[in-house]
Amino acid sequence: MKAIRFSVNGKHYDITVPPHRTLLEVIREELGLTGTKEGCGVGECGACTVIMDGKTVNSCLVLAAEADGKEITTIEGLAQGDRLHPIQQAFIDHGGFQCGFCTPGMIMSAKALLDANPRPSEEEIRKGISGNFCRCTGYTKIIESIKAAAKNMEAKP
Amino acid sequence: MSDFAVIGERFPRVDAREKVTGEAKYAGDYSMPGMLWCKLLRSPYPHARILDIDASKALKLPGVKGVVTGKDFGGWSWGWMAATRDEVPLAVDKVRYMAEAVAGVAAIDEDTAEEATRLIKVDYEALPGVFDPEEAMKDGAPNVHDYVKNNISVEYHWNFGDVEKAFANSHIVREDRFRTSRATHGYLEPPATLAYYDPTGYITVWAAKQSPYFHYRHLAACFKMPLSKVRVVQPFIGGGFGGTKNDSLAGDFCAVLLSKITGKPVKYVESMEEELATSRRRHSMIVYSKMGVDKEGKITAIAHRVIADGGGYTAIGPLSMYLGGFMTGLPYHLPNFKYDAYRVFTNNPIGAAMRGHGVTHTRFAAEIQMEMIAEEMGLDPVEIRLRNAIDNPKKGKIYETINKVALKTCGIKEAIKEAAKDPLWRDKDKMPKREGDISWGVGLSGTSYSGGARQMGHQACAAIIRLCEDGTVNLITGATDCGQGSDTVLCMIAAEELGVRLDDISIKRVDTAYTPVDPGSYGSRVTILAGQATQKAARQVKKQLVEIAAREWQAKPEDVVIRLGEVSLKSDPTRKMPFIKLARIACYSGTGAVILGTGYSSYGIEHLDLVNGIGNGGTSYSFTAHTARVGVDMGTGQITVSDFTIASDCGRLLSPIPAEGQIEGGAVQGLGQTIYEDFIMDKGKTLNPTFLDYKMPLAMDVPNIKLIDIVTDDPDGPFGAKEASEGSIVSAPPAVVSAIHDATGIWFTELPITPEKIVRALRPKGQR
Amino acid sequence: MVTFYRRLPRFDYLAPKTLDEALSLLSQHKGKAQLIAGGTDIVPQLKGRLVKTPQYIIDLKAIPGLDYIRHDKARGLAIGALATIKSVIDSPVVGEKFSVLAQAAGNMASPQVRNRGTIAGNICNAVPSADSAPALLVLEANLKLVSPGGERTVNIDEFFTGPNRTVLADDEILVEIQLPTPPPKSKGAFLKLGPRKAMDLAIVGVAVLVVPESGKCKDIRIALEAVAPTPIRARQAEAVLREQMFDEKPIAKAAQTAASEAKPISDHRASAQYRREMVEVLVKRAIEQALRS
Repeated sequence: MKAIRFSVNGKHYDITVPPHRTLLEVIREELGLTGTKEGCGVGECGACTVIMDGKTVNSCLVLAAEADGKEITTIEGLAQGDRLHPIQQAFIDHGGFQCGFCTPGMIMSAKALLDANPRPSEEEIRKGISGNFCRCTGYTKIIESIKAAAKNMEAKP
Repeated sequence: MSDFAVIGERFPRVDAREKVTGEAKYAGDYSMPGMLWCKLLRSPYPHARILDIDASKALKLPGVKGVVTGKDFGGWSWGWMAATRDEVPLAVDKVRYMAEAVAGVAAIDEDTAEEATRLIKVDYEALPGVFDPEEAMKDGAPNVHDYVKNNISVEYHWNFGDVEKAFANSHIVREDRFRTSRATHGYLEPPATLAYYDPTGYITVWAAKQSPYFHYRHLAACFKMPLSKVRVVQPFIGGGFGGTKNDSLAGDFCAVLLSKITGKPVKYVESMEEELATSRRRHSMIVYSKMGVDKEGKITAIAHRVIADGGGYTAIGPLSMYLGGFMTGLPYHLPNFKYDAYRVFTNNPIGAAMRGHGVTHTRFAAEIQMEMIAEEMGLDPVEIRLRNAIDNPKKGKIYETINKVALKTCGIKEAIKEAAKDPLWRDKDKMPKREGDISWGVGLSGTSYSGGARQMGHQACAAIIRLCEDGTVNLITGATDCGQGSDTVLCMIAAEELGVRLDDISIKRVDTAYTPVDPGSYGSRVTILAGQATQKAARQVKKQLVEIAAREWQAKPEDVVIRLGEVSLKSDPTRKMPFIKLARIACYSGTGAVILGTGYSSYGIEHLDLVNGIGNGGTSYSFTAHTARVGVDMGTGQITVSDFTIASDCGRLLSPIPAEGQIEGGAVQGLGQTIYEDFIMDKGKTLNPTFLDYKMPLAMDVPNIKLIDIVTDDPDGPFGAKEASEGSIVSAPPAVVSAIHDATGIWFTELPITPEKIVRALRPKGQR
Repeated sequence: MVTFYRRLPRFDYLAPKTLDEALSLLSQHKGKAQLIAGGTDIVPQLKGRLVKTPQYIIDLKAIPGLDYIRHDKARGLAIGALATIKSVIDSPVVGEKFSVLAQAAGNMASPQVRNRGTIAGNICNAVPSADSAPALLVLEANLKLVSPGGERTVNIDEFFTGPNRTVLADDEILVEIQLPTPPPKSKGAFLKLGPRKAMDLAIVGVAVLVVPESGKCKDIRIALEAVAPTPIRARQAEAVLREQMFDEKPIAKAAQTAASEAKPISDHRASAQYRREMVEVLVKRAIEQALRS
C-alpha cells in the first residue's frame, strides 16, 4: 500500500492506496469525484484529462502514487460555488457539448490552453484540444465556445 | 419576429449546467454499498464449439462471489423479431464471433474479477470461420447458424415498375460496385450497468441505454419477471448513435443474474477496447448499383443489389436491410426500382444500426453514380440534381414515391439552390485548384433521411405533464436524450404549448418505473413522436387552466391567452395575472383536482412492410444539400477538408443550438467514415480496436462548417419539425467523395478513402 | 481466453530519491523491475498485459535534477532523462539550434502526453516509429547510460537493436541525451505521415539535417522511422547527395535511394509498398523544407 498526500481542487487528502491504482481511479472511486471520466483508459481519448501542477495530463496514465505531493484540478474545481468559470459558461452559451461525456476533459484542456495562451488563434485552439476526442459535436461549437471564453476572460480578467 | 414565444430561440440546453460542471452522472459513475464487479470472459476464436467450461478454480479465488455461463440463462434468447431470436446472453453451444462472451464473474473488486476470468478453463473446438459475406453466401461455406441456408440472415426482393424495360430504353446505364467501411459509433462512454436484483422480485438497473424500454422488455423476458417489476433507470448517456446502447449486452444480463445469485448489486463497465472489438457496428455493405438515365439525365431506374456483413447474429439486421431500400426513391424521382438485399452471417462482430441507418450505404452509391453519369453527359452536378429532385408538395398535397413513401414537405430543391449560391460552390472555379502538392476539389451531394421512425410492434410513446402548485411544470416522458438534445426540445415544446418559460419546465430522467413507455432514441423519432405526445399532454393541461382562468374572469376560454408565464385576455389585455397565480388557483381550487395532462403519439400506426418494401418507414423526411472543399496531397494521398456548407431542410429547427450541433456532428461523423474509419479484420480478429488506430476525426481534422437552414414547416411534426440529427451523416460521404474526384479525377467507390488508396489510384504501378 | 482489462496488474512501487538509490534498486531487483518516467508507454502496456508485469515499478521522478535541458557552446545540448517532451518543445535553445528535434517533439501524441512523456522514455521504449528517434539520429546524439558498474556513452546509431529493444542492460539507466552542436549553417526538418493531423502513429517519419554551402550539399544526414525494425540512418542516400548540388535530380536520387534502404513491413496501418514510396516523397520534401527554412 502507498500513502499519498495531495491536494485536489484546493482540498488536501491523505489516503492509502495499492500501488497499481491510477490517479483517475482514485479521483473517481476513492474521492468520489466522478466528473472526470474514464473513456479509453489508455491515454488516447482525453476524457480523463485533469490539470496536475499546472499541466494537463491523462489521469488514466498517472499512477496515484505519482501524484504524491501534487496539486490537481478537476472539473469540479472550476466553478466557485454558483459562479461558473467563464469557460463553462461559454460552453453553455455556445453549445460546446452534447452528451457531455468528453466535456470535463475538454474543458480542462481548454482551461490549460487559455491559461497559457489567452489569445489563441483558431489553429492554436484546435491544436490545444487535439488530445480530446468528441464524437457528438464535430468540434465546431467547442471551438466557438473556447473563442468566446477567451474573449470574455480578456474582458473580465 | 417569430410567431413563437419559445420555439426557435437559441436557448442553451436544459442539462447544460450538470454537464459542464461534471455533476451529470453516467452509468459508470454509480456505486452502491456492497457492490460487486462483473467481468466477462470472452472467446479467443471467431467460430468454435464450446465443449466444456470449468470455473472451479475461479470460484476458489478469494473475493469471487459467483460465476455464470450460458447454461445459466435457461436457453433464453432474444432478437428484434420473433423469428430472429438467435442471440443469447452468454454463448451456449457455439461462439460465432471473436471475443463473444462465454462467462461472467462477480467479485468484490474489478481486479479480482479480472484475475478470476483467467482461471476459468474453457474447452473449445475451433471451427472453420467465414469472414467475407460474398464467400459466406456460397455453397460449402461454414454455417454460422443452422437455422438458415447459405448463411442468409435476411433477404428481401422488392420490385417496383419494370427496371429491365427502363434500362433497355435508357440513354445511359451504369453499373458500379460500392463498398462502405466497417464503422462504429465511437462514443466516448463505454457501455456500463449497475444492476440490483432485489430478492423480493424486483430488478433495478442503471444502464447506459438509448432505448431503456427495449432493455426492460429483454430483462423481463430473460428473468421471467413482469414488466411492472423491472426498473431501468436512465443516467446521463455518453452518446449512442444508434448501436449497442439501443440493445442489450452480455454484461447487462450477467450483472443482473450475478446480482440474483449473490444478493448484491453488481456493476459492469466495458473497456473501450472491449467495446470497439466486440460491440455492434454499422454493417459494412457492398452495393451493386445499376442506374439508368434518359437524354435529359433524368433517372429512369435504379437496381440495387446489396450484400451486408451481418456478423454472428441477427440483431436489428432486418430493419437495416429494409431501411437501405425503402427510401431510395428520395430525394429524386424514381419511376422504376428493384431491390435485392442480402444480410449474410459471418464470423465477424455483429452488424447493426448506426446513425443514418441503412440509407448511408445505398444513397452513397446512388449519389456517386449519378455524378459519374453527369460527368459522362457533361451535365453540371447542380443541374442534374435539379432535373431529378422532387418538388416541395403544395400545401395539403402529398408526394408519393413508387413504393408509397409519402411526404408532405420536401425542401431538396431549395437546399440545392442555396448550396449552389453559397460561395463554396458558386466561386469554386475562382479558388486555387493547386497549391504546391495539394490539389483542391469541391463536391456536392443531395440526400434525404427519414424521421419519426417506427418499429414493429413497438410504437407507443406517451408523455405526462404535471403542474406543480408554484407554477412550475414537470415533463415526464420515456423519451431518451442520449446527448442529441431531445430533453431540451421536448421542454421547449411543452413551454410553447403551455405558455410558460423554458426555465419553468423540468424534465424527469427516464425511469421505467415512473415514466410512460417510449420506444427510445433512434430513427430521429423523439422530436417528432415524443414531441407530439408532449404537445398533447401540454394541451390537456392548458385546456384545464384556460377553463379555470375563464371562470375566474367570467370570460370565454377562447379569449384566454397564456404566453411566457403571463395569462391575459385577448379582448382585454388589462386583465392579466402571472401564470403562478393561475396555477395556485387551479391547484388549491378546493375541488381536489390535480392538474395533469397526458398525451400519446398517434403516429406509427402503419406496419413496416419488410417483405415488399411498400409504404412509409417514417413520419417525414429531411433533405440536405451538402458541399465540401477537399484538398488532396498528390504525393502522399493525405486529405484535408477545409469547408463544408450544409443546407438542411428539417421542417423547422425547434431548438437551434442542439440542432446545429447535431448537423455539424453528423457531418463530421460522416466525414470520419469516408476517409478515416474502418475496422481492419484478419480472420475475425479486429486489428485496430483502439482510438489510436480506429481513426475518428480530431479537432485539427474538421472543416469549417457553415449551415443554411431551409424551413418547410412540415404539418406532421410539432411546430413543423422534421428530423435534424441524421441527414448530414448521409450527405457528407458523397459530397466528400465527389470533391476528391474533382481534385484527383478519380472516382473512389470503396470507403474509407485512405491516403494509400489515393496514391495507389494515382500511381497504380508505383510510378513517381 | 480473452479478457479486456480495465485495471492495472498488481506491482510494488518504489520512488528512490537519488540516482544511486535507483541504480541499487534496479540491480537488487534485476529482471523484476521496470523504470517509469512519464508512464505514457508503460502504463498502457501494463494494462493491456502486453509486457510481463514487473514486481517493482521504479519511479525516477523523485530524483531531483534530472529534468534539465542545458546548453553550452563547447559540449552542445544535454537533455536529462526526465525532461518532458513539452519542455523540449518550449526550450528556446532547442528551437533555435536543434530545431529538427523541436519539430519532431511538437507533434508527438497529444498535449497531455507531451506534458508527461519524456524524450528519454520515447527512445527507451524503442518502437520503430519513435518520433524523437530520427531527429536524434541526424543530430548524432550520444546517450549516457549509468549502471552500478559505472557509466558508458553509446551513440544513438548503436542504441536500437530491434523493435522495442535497445542495448540498455537491465541494471542500466539512460540519464542524459547529449547532442553535439550541429555544424554551423545547418538546417533541419522533420516530417511525419499519418492520415489525421494529430495523434497518429507515424506510417513514415523522416528527419533531415542539411549543411548547404553555396547551393552545394556540404553534408546531409537523413533518418527514417517506422520503415525498418528500428529507426535508421539512410546512409546510402546521404552518400548520393553529399558534395552534389542541391538540385532537383540529385535530391530525387537521394530520396529514391533512401526508399531502397528502408525495410518496411505491411501491417494494418499501411502496406510496405506505400511506406517505401512515402519515404521517397517525404525525404525529398524534408530536404526541400530544410533548405527553405
